[in-house]
Amino acid sequence: MDYLADVGITILIYIILGVSLNLLLGYAGQVSMAHAVFYGIGAYTAGLLSLPILEAAQGAAARGVTSGLGWNWIPALLIAIVFTFGFAFFIAFPAAIKVTGEYLILLTLAFQVVINQLMNSLVNVTGGPYGLTPIPPLSLFGHQLVAPTQAIWIFVVAAAAAFFLSWRVGESPFGRLLKGIREDEIAVRALGKNTRLVKLTVFGLAAAIAGMAGALAAYYYQFIAPGNYTLDLSIFIVAVVVLGGTGNLLGTVLGAVVLGALSPALQNIPWIGTADSIPWQGVIYGLGLALIMRFRPQGILPEGLTPRWFKRAEKLAADAATAGTPPEWSLAAQDPDSVATCASGEEGTQAEEVVRITGLARTFGGLQAVDGVDMALRKGRITALIGPNGAGKTTIFNMITGELKPDTGRVVYRGQDMIGRKPHELARAGIVRSFQDVRVFQRLSVLENVAMAVPDQPGENLLRLTFRPLAARRSEKRTLSQARAYLEFVGMADKADESVTNLSFGEQKLVAIARLLATEGDVLLLDEPTSGIDVNSVNQVIDLIQRLCRFGKTVCIVEHSVHVVGQLADHVYFLDHGAVIEQGTMAALTSRPHLVEVYFGT
Amino acid sequence: MFNPQLFMQLLVSGIVIGSSYALLSVSFGIIYATTRIFHFAHAVVYTIAAYGAVVALDKLGWPWWLCLVVGLVAAVILGVIIEIVAYRPMRNRGASTLAIFLTSLGLTIAGANLIQIIFGSENRPLSGFPMKTYQVGSVTFTSLHVTIVLVSWLLIGGLMLFLRTTKYGRATRAAQSNSQMAMSVGIRMERVSLVVFALGSLLVGVSALLFTLGGVASPNMGLSPILIGFIGVFLGGIGSVSGAALGGFVLGLATSLSGLWLSGDYSPVVVFGLMFILIIVRPQGLLGKAVR
Repeated sequence: MDYLADVGITILIYIILGVSLNLLLGYAGQVSMAHAVFYGIGAYTAGLLSLPILEAAQGAAARGVTSGLGWNWIPALLIAIVFTFGFAFFIAFPAAIKVTGEYLILLTLAFQVVINQLMNSLVNVTGGPYGLTPIPPLSLFGHQLVAPTQAIWIFVVAAAAAFFLSWRVGESPFGRLLKGIREDEIAVRALGKNTRLVKLTVFGLAAAIAGMAGALAAYYYQFIAPGNYTLDLSIFIVAVVVLGGTGNLLGTVLGAVVLGALSPALQNIPWIGTADSIPWQGVIYGLGLALIMRFRPQGILPEGLTPRWFKRAEKLAADAATAGTPPEWSLAAQDPDSVATCASGEEGTQAEEVVRITGLARTFGGLQAVDGVDMALRKGRITALIGPNGAGKTTIFNMITGELKPDTGRVVYRGQDMIGRKPHELARAGIVRSFQDVRVFQRLSVLENVAMAVPDQPGENLLRLTFRPLAARRSEKRTLSQARAYLEFVGMADKADESVTNLSFGEQKLVAIARLLATEGDVLLLDEPTSGIDVNSVNQVIDLIQRLCRFGKTVCIVEHSVHVVGQLADHVYFLDHGAVIEQGTMAALTSRPHLVEVYFGT
Repeated sequence: MFNPQLFMQLLVSGIVIGSSYALLSVSFGIIYATTRIFHFAHAVVYTIAAYGAVVALDKLGWPWWLCLVVGLVAAVILGVIIEIVAYRPMRNRGASTLAIFLTSLGLTIAGANLIQIIFGSENRPLSGFPMKTYQVGSVTFTSLHVTIVLVSWLLIGGLMLFLRTTKYGRATRAAQSNSQMAMSVGIRMERVSLVVFALGSLLVGVSALLFTLGGVASPNMGLSPILIGFIGVFLGGIGSVSGAALGGFVLGLATSLSGLWLSGDYSPVVVFGLMFILIIVRPQGLLGKAVR
């Protein structure tokens, strides 16, 4: 029994480590090769707090280890969790700011090796290679839980808590942001979300959960040594997550059980025996990892493949569909014929000026991409930027939305200079954009794509999610019904539950517009909203944009199609080599032969 | 206190270590720059070169220099097989960088453990190299040290010559700067990949053998040299042989000279700490061009 319970505890530890890493690797798409180190930091923190208090002389005798503080395991566990969170939060700054891809792999690898080496080298703190002992065992109500059959219950509770927490977080608006970051971080920022904070938080959270496991394991084994927190364990946990299925927590549990049971099972095969069971385990999970990536990269249980009762988000979505509280400006209800068309063809100088751009300029190397552009965007009007490829149209968008810093110039929005603000701050202030290549979140549903854009969701904040769960749930219902209403407005409500990947490009553009509307921004910058889509969709998009400006949105489009610009724009800026060379109505511009020449290159 | 004798000794060992790190970095760098594969399993190729030679020596009793050839052949074969069997089908399917990296990681784990099962976990020496010790002033070094420096830089120089002058070399450089463009002018990426895997595996094999001649082979010997190779490449800036060589060399020198102030225990901390800082402040590497 004790043997089985011991194996069980090992598996439960793998489950805790796996589900927490899955939040990071599966949901947020952030590779970490250092999970074992956070497990170790939790262990050392708890161990040092709980080691018995020794007299100085005795302490020196015990292999130079300074004495502990003799704490009870429960407060020490809490401190270990908090400390690991803070440590990871701090250490993840480079990852949150700019390090991605291979560099993140390398950075976390480096971190793993450095910290593990320090565990060996800082003998005065960590006890060096021989580690720390004797750490007092787990206890409850004065009873020591030394036997595996007793201690296992603590681990069962811990694993259940870790699983429940990871699942709650993963399926919450916060989890939706994580998936968004995984799919396309720039697009998430453009919706007004502070992705850095989200990334730091998830690094911290994943580490804190691992730290909890580390602390509990320290009390259970009553012994800590650097050899328990090596790169091998980090890789093993990655294998658990990947084999089970990234983004699927049940898959992680499955992976932990299968891989965790491997070594004990192998020990019982006569020709392998105890000595060779560890290397055989390595061979099997190593090959398993390689094979699953080769033949089934989504893992045994792919993301989204979960039992119905498990799908919290969908249940909420279904509720929301019936609740049907439309957003305040009841978009879909408006009758399109009741208002005159937006593009009146007149110079709309009377309307309120919402954005004023002066002297905007930017060079790339020696190339003057944008050269002193002045323009104004007015409320309820559609402004268009046209010009040949490379004229600097998208660069202007990038500067207005803060993705790119101009060399000189000002962007004034409702009387405030916006230069120097971050993309998500600008989006929150109300200047939002769409992208030429749509940048919808591929593996998310249509509804999730739009719901992510809804501003100020309490569920995006981990603290509020934890301490105000009911409020977060109510608000999520509201968010989803709002998202549905926006989808109705663009005519995509019937596809709400489909994955975006299954939509045509034209439909994806409509979803991108719904997503933009959901941000509640009032300046909409649309980068080639009709390029690459069929005629029917073009007409749908034109109609949609006209309706938008009737609702008082300030719209600016970059567009190549003369037909579309002619239908939509009140005012057109013609750019060439980064400068505005003409402006006026489309009709006025097309009557000037030299522009036609520049544009069509005749 | 600054100790000039210690400094000279550390400088000389720094040059030796730096040369071997440069070779490691170049061996990984040429594969990474051309194929963008984070070839973690390079560690197994490293190990197999050492074991190939050790087994030939122990089981067949061949002369030591012939055993080195056996090791190199084993390394090249394994490297090329990994490319053909594992990476190529994944690339053709359009697998992500992460997926290919994880495959490579899996192969590394499986490979090192398989070696342990087959050959045992004990250390295996590769004896026979005519080891001599030289003393110049207060500085001590061996004939193996001299060999390491000479062989490493000869191979690196040879590789640069190959890339500049031969047909395959030029194709490789084209593929490094823009693989799409290279393909459109008729360069066959599959063949170029095979060439760089063969070359990279050969170089890492040499590195492994030079190490084993002075040390021992063990199943997990490949891991830390490969990590060092990665770091050298990223330190120097991806995409050029000279960058990788410089990155590796600086890394080795820094590791050795850190011995002036720190005990040897801390050398991994120095190595990885350096890279940690560099990734944060200058992600394009020492020689790399700034990315806008």
